[in-house]
Amino acid sequence: MTLADMGKKKKENLVKGISYAVLIIWVLITLVPIIFTVLTAFKTDPEISMASFKWLPESFGNIESFRQAFAMGDWFQYFKNSLFITAVTVVGSLIFNSMAGYAFARLKFKGREFLFMSVLLGMMVSPQSIIIPQYVMMRSAPLFGGNNILGQGGTGLLDTYGSLIVPFLAGAFGIFLCRQFYSTFPTSLDDAARIDGCGVIKTYFVIYLPLSKTILATLTILKSVATWNDFFYPLIMTQSEKMKTVQLGLQMFRGSSMTHYNYLMAATIITVIPMVIVYACAQKYFVQGIVSSGMKN
Amino acid sequence: MKRIGKKRGKLEQQNAAYLLIAPSYLIYLFFVLIPVIWTIAMSFTDYNLSKAHFVGISNYIQLTKDPIFIKSVGNTLFYCLLAIVPAMLLGLALAMFLNQKLKGKGFLRTLFYLPNIFSMVAVSMAWLYLYDTTSGILNKVLKDLGMQAVPWISSASMAMISIAIMSIWSTTGYNMILFLSGLQGIPDYLYEAASIDGATAWEKFIHVTIPMLKPTTFFVFVMACINSFQVFGQVLIVTNGGPMNSTTTIAHQIYRNGFEYYKMGYASAQAVVLMVIIFAITLINMRFGGGDENDLG
Repeated sequence: MTLADMGKKKKENLVKGISYAVLIIWVLITLVPIIFTVLTAFKTDPEISMASFKWLPESFGNIESFRQAFAMGDWFQYFKNSLFITAVTVVGSLIFNSMAGYAFARLKFKGREFLFMSVLLGMMVSPQSIIIPQYVMMRSAPLFGGNNILGQGGTGLLDTYGSLIVPFLAGAFGIFLCRQFYSTFPTSLDDAARIDGCGVIKTYFVIYLPLSKTILATLTILKSVATWNDFFYPLIMTQSEKMKTVQLGLQMFRGSSMTHYNYLMAATIITVIPMVIVYACAQKYFVQGIVSSGMKN
Repeated sequence: MKRIGKKRGKLEQQNAAYLLIAPSYLIYLFFVLIPVIWTIAMSFTDYNLSKAHFVGISNYIQLTKDPIFIKSVGNTLFYCLLAIVPAMLLGLALAMFLNQKLKGKGFLRTLFYLPNIFSMVAVSMAWLYLYDTTSGILNKVLKDLGMQAVPWISSASMAMISIAIMSIWSTTGYNMILFLSGLQGIPDYLYEAASIDGATAWEKFIHVTIPMLKPTTFFVFVMACINSFQVFGQVLIVTNGGPMNSTTTIAHQIYRNGFEYYKMGYASAQAVVLMVIIFAITLINMRFGGGDENDLG
């Protein structure tokens, strides 16, 4: 080994050392808020209000905070609402988005580029800038919620599942993701189907859909997380206790738990667990979805 | 005969395409495109949920004289400045490190992305407990170390910085995933060629990595801008715009005027301002990023 080689080796080790140091620091930064949330949930009130700081709770067997959190909010109802909204939104958007994605990727029709570009524009529109007309539309949906045929007199679709599901059944993100996916299919597939006498719609259902497991799994995962985590729409569209979602429940719980940070952390953990399970089971689809679309909802 | 058959096939394909696109496009039209136009129209009225009069551009004139709105624009820009650049630099650094041969690479990637699957409500709750001035963990630790307590979210000069730190924590992993896929797309032979030319690691970074990552970087930046300009959830939950309006943002003002004071015409004008800012930034980025529709993927 020459002297130059040794110098190079040393430098390489230095770079590697710095890499590890930065990585370890970011591991700590990532973990600290998560670990404290968990540790705090197992602490008692006196432990919380102690002036000096102690890392660990007296005992991990103390689940009083979880019991209190459950007792203080109607979590069963919140979970039911969130699960229902998430399930229906995901299933509906899988069907609608993949159909549209297939058409945009594979079929020739007038106005294709224009329609697709107009869909892409939607990615730039933030929910807050269109929420007011959406609220008015939901409020004056004809014949719903005590409204007459002109959409007056009642509350329309406000405070119903409909207002939280329908706008999310399709979206720029899902259409784009599916279009990118179907664009990679060989055109010989379509030719073979046509020779067999399949129309384009039948081709979609018989050939494309069965080959779409990866994209549908990706879409399911990303859409589930986005719907489950959404805070803004439930905040605007719902009023009654029985329509609240998990995120709203958690936000309200903050008001009622006041200085009981242990209860609040327990409630936070409860709301996060389903998504952690989804992430643990289907991690590769998250990465795949983000990489191929660049978006997460 | 054959030509007529072909033409009919084409028409059939076109009709099928419209049929497949119709459900998602109608939803998109109703809940995104029409609300965009409606918001613009509403911004010229004094709509307050019961009646609307045309008021010309007086909402916009009022905006220029509204000190809280002007403050919210400044706060939003300040937040973007604080949150976007560090989260991008950190995301790039982590991606560079994880792109090397390291033990535990997959585990680290999973861990770093984890904060991104938590809802903003849950993230806010965890950080509230870290930040709380009297009973928060950060100040307890500082006190035990004999240092002065920091008014993380209770002082006008610190609050926005604290909210930005929280956002950096939750979005860095997402940027990392995008940069990682960008890095993996750089062909090895470019680095090999640079090595043959005697380039050092730093020179390779400047002359190969940076230029090759340009599309990814612009894409990450556009997405970060779109997401950061609409910052809302963490503001509402952690500070509700305070102290002394130091953390109120454009989106928070839209919510407040529209859904707390029911000044929906005025809030629509604010929504139009938000839309225009995001639209302009995206267009400028696309222009300078040299990006086209394909860069989204």
